[in-house]
Amino acid sequence: MTPRTSSTLAETSPNRGVPPALGPERPVAWPKRMSVTLPNGLQVVLAESHVFPKISAQLFIRSGNPAIAHRAPGLAELTARVIRTGTTTRSSRQIEEDLRRMGADAGASAGADTSAISIGGLAEFSEGILELLADLARNASFSEDQFERERRQKIEGLRVERTTPAFLANERMRRVLFGEHRYAVIAPTEEQVAAYQRDELEHFYKRHYSPSNALLIVVGDFSTEQLLAQIEEALGSWQGARPELIISAAPPEALGRQVHLVHLPGSVQTQVLVGNLSITRRDPDWYRTVLANSIYGGAFHSRLVMNIREQKGYTYSPRSGITALHQHGFFTVHAAVRNEVAAATLTEIFYEMDRMRSLAVTPEELENAQSYLTGVFSLGVATQDGILGQFSTVYLDRLPEDYLETYREKIRALTANDILLAARRHFDSANAQIVLVGDRDQIADQAALFGPVTEYDAHGNKQ
Amino acid sequence: MTQSSKQLHIPVEHTTLANGLRVVASPDRSAPVVTVGVYYQIGFRLEPRGRSGFAHLFEHMMFQGSANAGKMEHIRLINSSGGLLNGTTNYDITNYFEAVPSNALERVLWLEADRMRALKVDGENLRNQRDVVKEEVRVNVMNQPYGGFPWLDLPPVAFRNWPNAHNFYGDFVDLDAATLADVQHFFRTYYAPNNAVLLMLGDLDPAEAFTFAKRYFEDIPVQPPPPRADVTEPPQTEERRGTVPEKLGPLPALAIGYTAPPRTSDDWYAATILERVLHGGRSGRVYRELVLEKQIALETDGSYDAFDTNGPTQMVTRIFHRPEYTSDATIAAFDSVIRDVQEKGITAEELDPVKVKFRADYYSMLEGGMGSYMPRFGLMHYLACFTLFDGDPKRINTVLDGFLAVTPAQAQAVAKKYLVPRNRAVVVRSPLKEETEKSNGGAR
Repeated sequence: MTPRTSSTLAETSPNRGVPPALGPERPVAWPKRMSVTLPNGLQVVLAESHVFPKISAQLFIRSGNPAIAHRAPGLAELTARVIRTGTTTRSSRQIEEDLRRMGADAGASAGADTSAISIGGLAEFSEGILELLADLARNASFSEDQFERERRQKIEGLRVERTTPAFLANERMRRVLFGEHRYAVIAPTEEQVAAYQRDELEHFYKRHYSPSNALLIVVGDFSTEQLLAQIEEALGSWQGARPELIISAAPPEALGRQVHLVHLPGSVQTQVLVGNLSITRRDPDWYRTVLANSIYGGAFHSRLVMNIREQKGYTYSPRSGITALHQHGFFTVHAAVRNEVAAATLTEIFYEMDRMRSLAVTPEELENAQSYLTGVFSLGVATQDGILGQFSTVYLDRLPEDYLETYREKIRALTANDILLAARRHFDSANAQIVLVGDRDQIADQAALFGPVTEYDAHGNKQ
Repeated sequence: MTQSSKQLHIPVEHTTLANGLRVVASPDRSAPVVTVGVYYQIGFRLEPRGRSGFAHLFEHMMFQGSANAGKMEHIRLINSSGGLLNGTTNYDITNYFEAVPSNALERVLWLEADRMRALKVDGENLRNQRDVVKEEVRVNVMNQPYGGFPWLDLPPVAFRNWPNAHNFYGDFVDLDAATLADVQHFFRTYYAPNNAVLLMLGDLDPAEAFTFAKRYFEDIPVQPPPPRADVTEPPQTEERRGTVPEKLGPLPALAIGYTAPPRTSDDWYAATILERVLHGGRSGRVYRELVLEKQIALETDGSYDAFDTNGPTQMVTRIFHRPEYTSDATIAAFDSVIRDVQEKGITAEELDPVKVKFRADYYSMLEGGMGSYMPRFGLMHYLACFTLFDGDPKRINTVLDGFLAVTPAQAQAVAKKYLVPRNRAVVVRSPLKEETEKSNGGAR
């Protein structure tokens, strides 16, 4: 023991052996928001947050890469990138200089459900920032040279991604889980990008970047009334029809555990990814499944992290999670481990999964996990981006208006039996799909212990 | 109402406990959340010779158990209070921090005090975390395209003094050599209240927070001041170059680092603004010239740890370039960007917007800084650095003025003085496999 100096605080000196109890909880108040739909169909959500003199805005288009995947996978992503580089009134350089002048950054990208233009900067320039956002959304020019430059960058970026274990694992898992469904493809091939036509991008832009297909969220240091007027000025005259809805094939039903090995020669580690189809946020099981995940592998103090990191030292940052896309969700567990323990890691992943499915969690685990989820949820209220992120979840996924306000009580109301039920329904251990990215010579024998193995190279070719 | 250049004022109160622990509080009651940090003035620069990677390995050990909170208790108690926690090891500081609902403030302080008072770890903990750290190095460096580029590549090329020049993540041989005695010795030497600052931000009353700080920290014994290692570099007389093979990634890349002026000098302000002229996003000169105009590079970025280092530090440009251009051709294109600044200078029309953007970035850093998951991370980080390195946390409200006062002439002068070959190091990452699998790349 380290000797202690004599305390001058004898009377208030705490009982050092016991952690202090939590104080009374302060209520969590999400900022009041205004949600309106402009006459042209644009949905607008505004929330004031005055601590820092800046604003964050994000314009979501409810069409992501799957919206055009039947013709050109990844084309929505390149469309977003090219939008960012020029409009009919602004050159690429002018855009960058205008951003800097307003203390602003902008980004544009596309994912599984949406395309988005985000822009944030100093609150004193809110009018100019919104005007620039509107210019990008309405007047992108798709110049030939910016298109070719972005295309080349995209192809080189894909080449780097195909050497990145986590990317390769995610790519394979999506194909395995989603089959013919459009969520199956997370990145195009180089050849597909090389075949894009400039006017296809423009066509996608005209069809999908339309007010009735868009949601604008702005959080920051402004007066709602004033900002709404600025938005009406910048985007009120934007016109366009809603694109038709795309029906995608149903994802396949998984029939037993299978192993999908992506061969990365010379890899000094194995990227382990286990997954199964799961639920969306609109499913009645959502809350209990989130809580079950938090106990299983969704937090630092979770069972899986304790097991394969803190007890066994197999890995640095293992975690599990539910990715809730708009149409379907999926559950995944990932860990990057040294090659010798790839099989041992899978054994523990399934052991912990099966334990969640067989035995009720203890009351202490339940309470700890409830406090964790409700507390961490409330951290988001302290930053503009945290608020924007939560609002986008609510409005993009079309969740009930009181989702944020009732989330904590819904988590608190759950029981150990809810968790057992969620684990049995949604941690599908028997049909889980296993993706391993690593050196075949090091891990093929271990892979075969868990089911029939299919091998691929980094480009997705079957071996 | 028009708002012009609305200046932000951060409330800051600070005190020093009898044992030398500096304590800083910054109230902000807009959300029921507090962020707590403990920063020790020890980083990987000062780890013992023959123990590369030790400061970082030690940081892991601080989560392995203290006198009254056994292994995993620390993590469980923070998580089950509704909070997140982490720690990072830097050049000159190591930090431990938590963001929690504000009703957990006292509990967090109890935990941080417990591990400042006494570390209680055994050989099994050390073996376990050594394994974890090796997997961290594999996932972040060895099995990752461009892993460790350039933060692990540049120091051994740029510097000659071991503290600045060694492998900060650690050679596995050195990690294996670390003993429990090393752990306890390092703890006693550097993890003393008089070598640290405690920060409490957010939904709190400063007077009450100081009372808590006293209650839990003040009787932790003071230690002799840690030895101050000599981190000065011998004068550099010519450009230094090195090559590191890129085992995974297909693109050639290079990093160019210029050793920056000492922190808080007049040149430091000007160099920090100059760095934004060169690197500030897509409007920065390097990206504009190399990626957008000449299209030699596919990606460029810059980094400069101006605030949180207290010794030799570099202003670094990274360039990922097209394989059809050689390294030398790419460097020549970069050099012409630098020469242009040195010879023609920077106009006020260019510099003024850079300063506006600098102010905006400063606010964003204070608000979040590590993504939005850890509120006020940047505010905590800067307050800690201003306290430990400069003895004045209130610089948080004045330091911006120094940057905003930089003139075009000053920016040009530091470009001429510092952006010269004899003050720089260049590292080339050359891919081992050059685009050999093209024929393989068809749709499946």
